[in-house]
Amino acid sequence: MNRVRGRAVGFALLLCLQGVAHADPGKDPVTSVMWGYYQQKFLKDQPYVFDDKVRLRAPPFAEDARQVPVEIDARAYAGEVVRILAWAELNPLPQIVDFQPVERVLPWLSIRIRIEQATPLRAAVLTRDGVWHIGSTTIDAAGGGCTAPSVVRAQPGWEEHIGEVMAGRYPRSGFSRLRVTISHPMDNGMVSGIPEFYLNQAQLKDTHGKLLATLELFPAVSENPTLGFDIEGDGETQLSLRDISGNLFSGAVK
Amino acid sequence: MNRSVAMRLVGCLLFCVSALVHAEPEYHLQPRQIAEDTYVLEGSTENFDKRNGGNIVNTGFIVTDSGVVVIDTGPSRRYGEALRKAIAAVTDKPVIQVLLTHHHPDHVLGNQAFADVPIGALAGTTELMRTQGDALTENLYRMVGDWMRGTEMRLPTQVLAPGTLAIGGHRMRLLALSGHTGADLAIFDETTGVLFAGDIVFYQRALTTPNSPGLQVWLNDLDTLQALPWKRLVPGHGPVATDARPFEQMRDYLGWLDGLLRDGAAQGADMAELIRTPVPERFAAISLTRYELIRSVSHLYPTYERAQMVRVDTR
Repeated sequence: MNRVRGRAVGFALLLCLQGVAHADPGKDPVTSVMWGYYQQKFLKDQPYVFDDKVRLRAPPFAEDARQVPVEIDARAYAGEVVRILAWAELNPLPQIVDFQPVERVLPWLSIRIRIEQATPLRAAVLTRDGVWHIGSTTIDAAGGGCTAPSVVRAQPGWEEHIGEVMAGRYPRSGFSRLRVTISHPMDNGMVSGIPEFYLNQAQLKDTHGKLLATLELFPAVSENPTLGFDIEGDGETQLSLRDISGNLFSGAVK
Repeated sequence: MNRSVAMRLVGCLLFCVSALVHAEPEYHLQPRQIAEDTYVLEGSTENFDKRNGGNIVNTGFIVTDSGVVVIDTGPSRRYGEALRKAIAAVTDKPVIQVLLTHHHPDHVLGNQAFADVPIGALAGTTELMRTQGDALTENLYRMVGDWMRGTEMRLPTQVLAPGTLAIGGHRMRLLALSGHTGADLAIFDETTGVLFAGDIVFYQRALTTPNSPGLQVWLNDLDTLQALPWKRLVPGHGPVATDARPFEQMRDYLGWLDGLLRDGAAQGADMAELIRTPVPERFAAISLTRYELIRSVSHLYPTYERAQMVRVDTR
């Protein structure tokens, strides 16, 4: 009797849990053979929905597979976003960025990436209610972006320029666009004889040292990373970066 | 039905299928005379495609008293061979000289069919073919497919310098330009007034920028060409013209593109935003504007955006 009831309760509980975990995510807008794998890997058993309010934009094809512009726009959930993960499903090194806007930074990011072949791209946006909103697109490519020889390393004296930061601030209505580009080879370990060497951490702070956003970068990010942020309010923005060899770089954008 | 009949049927079927599979694609090149001794083979204004075999380019030839001068060899070995046959249908004079306008694959991959003839190009063109040729050839295989079978990059065998080339009663002025690829040859036949502009001029087809040193350089090249006393203009892509409309369209389009990139950089636009910019209505007759805008933003925007940034590192 006890065992039967126990089982019944267990079964009911399981049903409930399944009810939560399997809230209908809707139809995957892109054709993907890898979605299930990455969902398990990055989102675990957390609830998710395919959501066209998360706009993930890239060109329909990669003209330069080493520098593919990607724009992640989750402003439809402004004020609600805790974290944004992005990846390129068919890349040998799929992960692109883990972006956590903390304060005054809108849930919008532009970044350039490398792709190895035609692939679905995903941006998973976690909102405060614990749901991941998945933005999707696909991109066509002749390929080879991840294994192509470095353009940076081909330039004489490139070591002298590591960590140089170029930036601009561009006023928009209600916020300003901050764009930065950092000199760094972003070696992903896939080019023969050159070990991994890439920027993996970045932070944005205000003049008082208050944290505005953090980013973890992965080697799918292009060499000389180019990033764009939309920031509300005034004042200087401090950018600090760190690569996997422990080099620290920083810049201040007025 | 006995077995041998069945076998014969199967054999027949197999034969039909294999005949279909092995149907060779053909270019059907039609030389059109545009001036005395001068012929053009006009390609479409489409993109590279498995349906068109990459015949999206204009090639041409001039039948001089001493032999035939060929301008560009087309996108594949098969095209080069078809071009040679087309020339032979017009004249029994031998081909004695090939001139390549620039290193892009649609203009030079027919070189194999002219292995017995001097193939001339600017030094910069040969260098670009050496460094980029294999990648460009591979990409064309990807886009055009079986038409490319047997095609390999063959380097020029002769270095051309700017100046006058006199062949068989024709005086041809060779102009070394750079706006499209950094090494662009234009050929002005003073004898007939025909200007082979190469890809410095696209007409009714969006221009391409993968190797352009800058749009201002390109605009200057247009001035140089337009100032020549030409009567007929053969663009690298698009219809032959007898008036200045191709030049006007090029200037208008280059000016628009330059302004778009400049304004975008001044406003901190991202590449992914810029490629969605509406293309002005006045360019509606030009094919592939959206496609080429996406490519041009990728090629050119990094230079524009850096010009709007300042060093801020505090290390």
